[in-house]
Amino acid sequence: MSRAVERDVLAGAGLALSVLAAAAVLAPKAGSSRIRSQRIAALPRSGPQPRTAVRAARRLNGAAGMLAASVLADSSVEHYRGSFKNRAMYTPLVVSALTLATSLHGTSDMRPLAHRLRDGCYLLAAATGLLGTGFHFYNVTKKVGGFSWQNLFYGAPLGAPMAILLSGLLGFCSERVRETARSPRPEMFGLPAARTIAAVTGAGLLGTSGEAGLLHFRGAFHNPFMAVPVTLPPIGAALLFNAAARGQGRAHPFTRAWMWLLTAMGLAGVGFHAYGVSRNMGGWRNWSQNVLNGPPLPAPPSFTGLALAGLAALGLMREHRDA
Amino acid sequence: MYDDALHMPRARQGQAPDVFRPGGWVPMREYRNDEPVDFVIVGTGAGGGTLACKLAEYGFSVVAFDAGPYFRPLEDFASDEAEQTKLYWTDDRIVDGANPLQLGSNNSGKAVGGSTVHFAMVSLRFRPEWFKSRTVLGYGADWPLDWREMWDYYTEVEQALKISGPVTYPWGPPRPRYPYRAHPLNAAARALAKGCEALGIDWTETPLATISAPRGLAHPCVYRGFCVTGCSTNAKQSALVTWIPRALAAGAEIRDLAMVGRIEVDDNGLVSGVHYHRDDGWHFQRARNVVVAGYAIETPRLLLNSATDRYRDGLANSSGLVGKNLMTQSNQAVWGVMDDEVRSYKGPPSLAITEHWNYADKGKDFFGGYAYMSQGPLPQLWANTQASAHGLWGGPLVEEMKNYNHVVGLKIVGEMLPQETSRVTLADEVDQYGLRIPRVTYSWCDNDKRLIDHSLKFMSRALQAAGAKDLWIQEDDTCHLNGTARMGDDAGTSVVNADCRSWDIPNLWICDGSVFPTVGGVNPSLTIQAIACRTADRIRAMARRGELNRSARRSSAPISATTDATASTA
Repeated sequence: MSRAVERDVLAGAGLALSVLAAAAVLAPKAGSSRIRSQRIAALPRSGPQPRTAVRAARRLNGAAGMLAASVLADSSVEHYRGSFKNRAMYTPLVVSALTLATSLHGTSDMRPLAHRLRDGCYLLAAATGLLGTGFHFYNVTKKVGGFSWQNLFYGAPLGAPMAILLSGLLGFCSERVRETARSPRPEMFGLPAARTIAAVTGAGLLGTSGEAGLLHFRGAFHNPFMAVPVTLPPIGAALLFNAAARGQGRAHPFTRAWMWLLTAMGLAGVGFHAYGVSRNMGGWRNWSQNVLNGPPLPAPPSFTGLALAGLAALGLMREHRDA
Repeated sequence: MYDDALHMPRARQGQAPDVFRPGGWVPMREYRNDEPVDFVIVGTGAGGGTLACKLAEYGFSVVAFDAGPYFRPLEDFASDEAEQTKLYWTDDRIVDGANPLQLGSNNSGKAVGGSTVHFAMVSLRFRPEWFKSRTVLGYGADWPLDWREMWDYYTEVEQALKISGPVTYPWGPPRPRYPYRAHPLNAAARALAKGCEALGIDWTETPLATISAPRGLAHPCVYRGFCVTGCSTNAKQSALVTWIPRALAAGAEIRDLAMVGRIEVDDNGLVSGVHYHRDDGWHFQRARNVVVAGYAIETPRLLLNSATDRYRDGLANSSGLVGKNLMTQSNQAVWGVMDDEVRSYKGPPSLAITEHWNYADKGKDFFGGYAYMSQGPLPQLWANTQASAHGLWGGPLVEEMKNYNHVVGLKIVGEMLPQETSRVTLADEVDQYGLRIPRVTYSWCDNDKRLIDHSLKFMSRALQAAGAKDLWIQEDDTCHLNGTARMGDDAGTSVVNADCRSWDIPNLWICDGSVFPTVGGVNPSLTIQAIACRTADRIRAMARRGELNRSARRSSAPISATTDATASTA
């Protein structure tokens, strides 16, 4: 197989996989609940509410999976566009696919135990995110003009690898929550789990919003809707920070509603970006060029992933007085 | 019926081509020849097109004439340099002087939209001091305009064209943010940047009139690279796709393939209309005001060709300056080859610029300034350049063309000084319309040569610093034309006043690059459009004060701006 065909197949497979996975993550999981509850029932009950912790953990797996799906699709398209010029550009495809598989496994795992392989995989994802950020930073600064608007706009996007880092972090959090399902309160490194996750998610929302802001500024906010992902998520982040700071045992209905709004926004963003693609020369008839050239279709669901994580944290917070 | 823009007028029967929709039409108001319109505008380029739009939007009745065709960019423009010469004004002209100009490509346009249809889209503001270059910098002539006022009109044009420019501009007083962001740099632009950084001067992304994000029905630039032979995607914000559609929506009429041959003057010494050639015959359109916007050759030619017993030296020519002070901008280049592939033809040709020598006054042995930009010559032009300017032919030319993908170059837009000896006059020969053709006389002065010399030395160093090899110099090239009907404060030393109104005939106006007293070291299109916007505002103000004929204002409402894509050519 020639290298070009290999690239096409790889990018195509990445896309297909991420779409399937995103659908799976969002699909309701009612089917096998009976079997799961049987399995749960078989486990020793020593913690106060292991079920709620596991539910939160699975939700976090789902959020991590959504982010990984977004990264898989986005890096497939964008690195394909960059012709996989550097072999390292295959890394996010492999790692995000792995993270996605891990997350799917996590969402269907009812056991209140951390999984060593999942843990490893999530750590790998987080490390990839950090390393990728370094790579992208190097790519931007090595160009003539250095750290300039031109290179921030058109060099490797600095914020993009953060998505896989966040996916890894949320997954890692998920395992910690699961692990402490039977202890008096879900926690990570001695910190209350739900509040920590809320804070991490809030920071993720801010970063992702910053990335959207940079690229929408590149597009001169030519469509008023381009302001949405730079206004709604920061408010969501503030609400999450607030919940993290003083939210024990409260339901936070407004924050939850806001997270659902962001979930919807992330999905609607795909539609807006599809419209953006249509506004390029040749529109969707010239999809093979314009999908690469237009606004990235898989990018907005990152917000959905983060909002799902926020919901998981809020859920845990509601059900665990001191989480 | 076969729709041939070059031979059959398209704007007629109440409709004009919709440039955004293949086969589409937009409604167009039409005026009878015997119906005196408020303004006849001769030319529809940066000056005329802009003015037609603004005046129509202010409620005046406007008919704008263009000798060229009404193109549909989405359908009529090929990725073929030879085919696209149809955009140029290639009618007979005589050139002479010590440095005869090469006319017909980068200094002319014959189409609705004028030469903005094929311009390089470089949209720069004048350095403020240039508006008073005589007083402040000691050369050329002062403009009767204040740079601060112009700064606002520049902003208006930049917004109207959605200029894509850098987030901050390194030179001159602050300017508002460009409406769209700069385009990505190509390798040729990065070479310019590298050279500038090595020599310690500023550079930036060139502010360009091609959009980097969607705008209405115009698609963002696809970096096709055929910008200077006509943009087939409508990313280029030419007059044809910006001002003209607005003008039509506001009720202006565009008459394509209509060559104005003479301006008529009545017994009172006022102009009363224009004689124009369309559909194999001469017609006369009555008008209360005539605006000449034919650029620096056709404008003086029309004024001189309209001589009467009363105005024996041509219209608006009591100062004797019509046709004089023809200025070009020098367009010399330094070329080289890089080891890596450059493919300089990708994207707009001049994505990066340095205006360092426009703003620095030290280290110069000449008056004026120059900008230089990265280049992206198309293959046919490049072969021509190698053959004519580099003197290659046969085997060596073929060998050299193999380096095409590695070629990198820097080219100046240099300020040439006004001289009365460089001028447009009438030759005795006549053209296809039976009109006397222009004789264009041009020579560089010593200052021009010193500026060119300085730029070539500096650009050679810059290109070397960027890593280019086998450098060679293209010594003889010019671009934009200006002057020939300069504006000023004094009827004795200028043709029009600051409002572009002729000193001699109050209802005769000139609004294009001809009115420039000096050219500056930047491409003139933005300044021409800014002047047109200002002129429109001044005309409206004068009309309100009753200084124009008040009854000239049209009473009926403008026609609807809706488009009709279903109508077909009859």
